[in-house]
Amino acid sequence: MIVETKDLTRLYHLGSSRITAVYKANLKIEEGGIVSIVGPSGSGKTTLLNLIGLNDKPTSGEIFFRDRKTSSIPDKERRKIRLRDMGFIFQTFNLLPTLTALENVELPMALLGIPQETQRTQAVERLKSVGLAERLEHKPRELSNGERQRVAIARALANNPSLILADEPTGELDSETGQEIIDLLLNLSKKETTTVIVATHDERVAKVSQVKLSIKDGEITN
Amino acid sequence: MRITVMCFRNLLRRRLRTTLCIFGISLATVFIVAIGATTTHYTQVIRDMNIFFTGKIVAVPEGAMVVQGFPVVGGNIPQNIIEEIKQIEGVEAAVPMLVRFGYQIEAIVQLAPSNITIGVPYGNWSMLVGATPLEPGGNWPSERDEVVLGQSIAAQYGLKVGSTLPVKDMNKTMHILTVSGILDSRSALLLRGIIIPLEMARRLHYENPDVTWKGNMVVVAFESGLKEEEIAERIRAETRGIEALTTDLRNEIVEPLLSDIETWNAGITSVLYALSMVLITLVAMINISERRRDFATLDAIGAPKRTVLRMVVTEILFIGLIGSIIGIVVGSFSAVLFASQYTNIPLSLFLSNIFEIVTPWLIVRVLVSTVAVATLAGLVPALAATRINIAEGLRSEY
Ligand SMILES: Nc1ncnc2c1ncn2[C@@H]1O[C@H](COP(=O)(O)OP(=O)(O)O)[C@@H](O)[C@H]1O
Ligand SMILES: [Mg+2]
Repeated sequence: MIVETKDLTRLYHLGSSRITAVYKANLKIEEGGIVSIVGPSGSGKTTLLNLIGLNDKPTSGEIFFRDRKTSSIPDKERRKIRLRDMGFIFQTFNLLPTLTALENVELPMALLGIPQETQRTQAVERLKSVGLAERLEHKPRELSNGERQRVAIARALANNPSLILADEPTGELDSETGQEIIDLLLNLSKKETTTVIVATHDERVAKVSQVKLSIKDGEITN
Repeated sequence: MRITVMCFRNLLRRRLRTTLCIFGISLATVFIVAIGATTTHYTQVIRDMNIFFTGKIVAVPEGAMVVQGFPVVGGNIPQNIIEEIKQIEGVEAAVPMLVRFGYQIEAIVQLAPSNITIGVPYGNWSMLVGATPLEPGGNWPSERDEVVLGQSIAAQYGLKVGSTLPVKDMNKTMHILTVSGILDSRSALLLRGIIIPLEMARRLHYENPDVTWKGNMVVVAFESGLKEEEIAERIRAETRGIEALTTDLRNEIVEPLLSDIETWNAGITSVLYALSMVLITLVAMINISERRRDFATLDAIGAPKRTVLRMVVTEILFIGLIGSIIGIVVGSFSAVLFASQYTNIPLSLFLSNIFEIVTPWLIVRVLVSTVAVATLAGLVPALAATRINIAEGLRSEY
């Protein structure tokens, strides 16, 4: 069990109104394979991923990461976990604009204190594996959306995480490029002992996943 | 290492903003340095004058305006008063001097009022200059038409021992003075000093040199063991229309003025620092708010808090440092330019002594202050940046 949630709830208070982004989600996610979370826009997918990824704290309920209760983990260690054990892929890529493709991929390794030389060879390796051997020195703004998302995937893989969290990774891409990204994620879940959780409303992503969860108005419906 | 690279690239990416901010900081620093150096130098020049006549009493006509030992404006002292002072118990010597600020040496170039001509009776030179020597090869005047010059004036007009100097007296009669010596002193006043025999000074400054006026000040030396204040009291009591100034009194006259100048300087400097701080904070806030998503991304991939903190502070420090260095360089030259204006010492002479005006201490102080101000100004936005909620930061539109 890599991730387990118990009655996971996240509320937002906007003035006097209360928005239920995630409500009493009970998930058990086993190691390996792709888990898709499918739901319309505004259903709570991003909120759920942020909670699982320790980017956010629940209003109530509990998240267990590798059977460890996460509510009691201090901020500093939560960052360590994110850095070492998790990789994030965002809908809008979120690459750092001033760094080259290579440097963006090296960054998580640098933050982990991996020697410069190793960073370089491994980052090149990662970028090659997503088909970007020719784009190492390019800045994000010099890359196409598809290429940006590949860099983002390479970055997410930088520290060999056991959990990849992808938030609508094909959302900004045309269908052909989207398919390429789906193939990459699929490969990934096969090759490495990696669990991929993908939030999406792309049916093609849902199709290739081993586990398909649906979410609506913050509630997991299956 | 990569953090620093990111900072520099971000500054380069926002070239106009970075340049403007650096320009703003430089501008503030230029004024801080220029005003600071100028006032420090100016007050130093005035304090310097206080080295004259220490332990002696300076007697001037009542109502004379005195800066340290020297009457700037005021009347003259006749022979009989000097005789009266000499008669006072305890007085050893009463040496009249004729001081004029801003005497013009015609036929050369007009000199600014910061020149000071001092007429001193033969043999009493040390009453004025103490142990200050002359440059090798020089002599104190032994003839009425001989003159000793300060280094700055001599250099400015290319005068050496033996050079001649035509001057006009009050009746437009020409006198040719010969330079007999150059003072070897860096005192601000002596640098611009023109020391001539009292006899010649009287001829130059009084329309009728036969008047009984001997000068406009009297330097009074007294027997050791006596109190300055005591002798001053006797002079006041036994002469009429004369003010006797002790060393302390002479300081008291000028201290309020100097401290006013320094207060103004401190006030202006504080305002400039405050403005710099506002500017830096503003730019830091803009830099941060447009990068909320980048910082949130860094947070999401697990960067420690200090990464963001370091980024913001490094950028700001860089701006502050570059700004203050440019400001110090430009400000130093401006200060020298000002100083050259108000002392009328030529720029070329000043430039070689730039650190006498812009002291290393001032430079260090400005650098340290600017860095401190920048850090302080950057720290608040930087701390705010580390508090950006990750989930919210990731959603931001930038
Ligand atoms: N920071 C926030 N403040 C207020 N409401 C929020 C915030 N984040 C998300 N929400 C709301 O929570 C709900 C779920 O949002 P989100 O998780 O982004 O959905 P999805 O990713 O499925 O589109 C939405 O109604 C959204 O408006
Ligand atoms: Mg979303």
